[in-house]
Amino acid sequence: MSSGPAEAQAAAGGTIALPRPPLTHEDSDRSLDRARVHSARQGGRKWFLLWLLIGPGILAMLGENDGPSMISYAATGARYGLGFFLPFIVVTFVIAMVCQEMCMRVGAVTHRGYGQLVLQRFGPLWGWFAAGDLLFTNLVTLIAEFVAIRIGLAYFHIGAGVAAALGLALVVFTMSGGRYWRFERIVLGLAMFNGLFLVAAIMVKPHLGAVAHSLVTFSPFPGGSLNTLLLLFASTVGATVTPWMIFFQQSASADKGLTPRDLKQGRIDTIAGGTLGAIFGCAALIAGAALVTHGGASIQGLAGAGFPGALSKVDGNAVGTIFALGLIEAGAVAVLTISASTGYAVGECIGKASSFNNAPRNAGWFYATNISVALVAAVIILIPGAPLLSIALNANVLATVLLPVTLVFMIMLANDRELMGRWVNSAMLNRVAMVIVAFVALAGAAYGIDSFLQTVHLIHG
Amino acid sequence: MARSDQRQTPANEEEEDLVDFLEPDQLAVDRSRPVPRYPLAARTRVLLWVLRVFVLVVGAMVIYTFFSQLS
Repeated sequence: MSSGPAEAQAAAGGTIALPRPPLTHEDSDRSLDRARVHSARQGGRKWFLLWLLIGPGILAMLGENDGPSMISYAATGARYGLGFFLPFIVVTFVIAMVCQEMCMRVGAVTHRGYGQLVLQRFGPLWGWFAAGDLLFTNLVTLIAEFVAIRIGLAYFHIGAGVAAALGLALVVFTMSGGRYWRFERIVLGLAMFNGLFLVAAIMVKPHLGAVAHSLVTFSPFPGGSLNTLLLLFASTVGATVTPWMIFFQQSASADKGLTPRDLKQGRIDTIAGGTLGAIFGCAALIAGAALVTHGGASIQGLAGAGFPGALSKVDGNAVGTIFALGLIEAGAVAVLTISASTGYAVGECIGKASSFNNAPRNAGWFYATNISVALVAAVIILIPGAPLLSIALNANVLATVLLPVTLVFMIMLANDRELMGRWVNSAMLNRVAMVIVAFVALAGAAYGIDSFLQTVHLIHG
Repeated sequence: MARSDQRQTPANEEEEDLVDFLEPDQLAVDRSRPVPRYPLAARTRVLLWVLRVFVLVVGAMVIYTFFSQLS
């Protein structure tokens, strides 16, 4: 075996090699992945190199095209048809790309997760606030993911118990290999089925001229109840940029072993994920828009989230089946990525091993948190009569409301010259990032304040 | 680090060589080493608290509304 880059660097610099610390299982597995990356780079095999380095970005973006997001997009389409929200989805994915690129970069440069860095760099108070936000929003979102699996399976007359068991079995199966690469590739394979929403959109035969018109003009702008509009606005933002994505992509980039040399591929990964996410998200809205003339009356099954059944009545059984399978996939992938982000965050905050490259016996907290949070969410969806559509939409809104703090710390980390060296944010990127924080804060606050004032009868909708 | 998390003896020389492909601070033992604390300026701390209180208040409003609509 030829000597690696670290050894060559030490030889070139004439430094004395210090005794190497004891190797862990995590080190061995990660070094194996890095050896393949080194070999691909040395051999000039660009496409293979890209194949080896993609993953965290696509997983974060398609993971966020999750059950509640797709239900939210379809609900928006069913209520307003094609129009403002279609290009708005694209805008929110551009926002997500900006935020996720920062996470990837910080993870690749520091080799540490977001939770660990916030806790150590800014103190335990802010670290635990961040982890607390994440735990809360992840639990609510995970409930919504199981809801999505339940809705999808209900179309095939399969009950909630199977939905809960399926989600949990997937979590245990993907974690069982003790290898990040294995987890990543299984979830990537599953995530490609997010494309089912594109198939569903094609099957409802949308008017292509109307789609193009909406995308270019952001019109027609939706009318009707301001509060409903604000709910859908905030939930669309929350359907695209969320705290768990930030935790996940930074931790996964570090766990995968990305380095500053891999930033170009990391950016391609993030942009590819965002582009696919935007296409599939728009497709869910277009499929939902097929129901716009039906006044939403036909989606009342399963507490207002019966989109697959409604679509099958309007456009035939095949499209209903595809949409149902898409919801199962969206929920399943998100259960895996969101429970992983929870495991990373808890492990990082309590200073325990948090890597898929560790065997479960060596990273008990990481694996136990992964399973526990999924288990709690799975149990909750077994409660009969739960308002599924409302849970899904509000999960996204909560993510939007809590996101600004997460983003501000992300920006601070990405500007920390002591940690990031020459890879800090540019001045232009900082300006864009601050506009995003203000936009997200306003989106969440507008719905939160308006709906609260209506609830306590201080204003009327 | 837990004793059980360490390879007591290197599996073989090849494994030792492979580790050279990691950057020095990519080893698990380095990743778990704390980074130094960043001194937050008083103004930054105030802004962070304002943002924290803001999201908690708005979050409480959303949760209150959600449960009100249920009942």
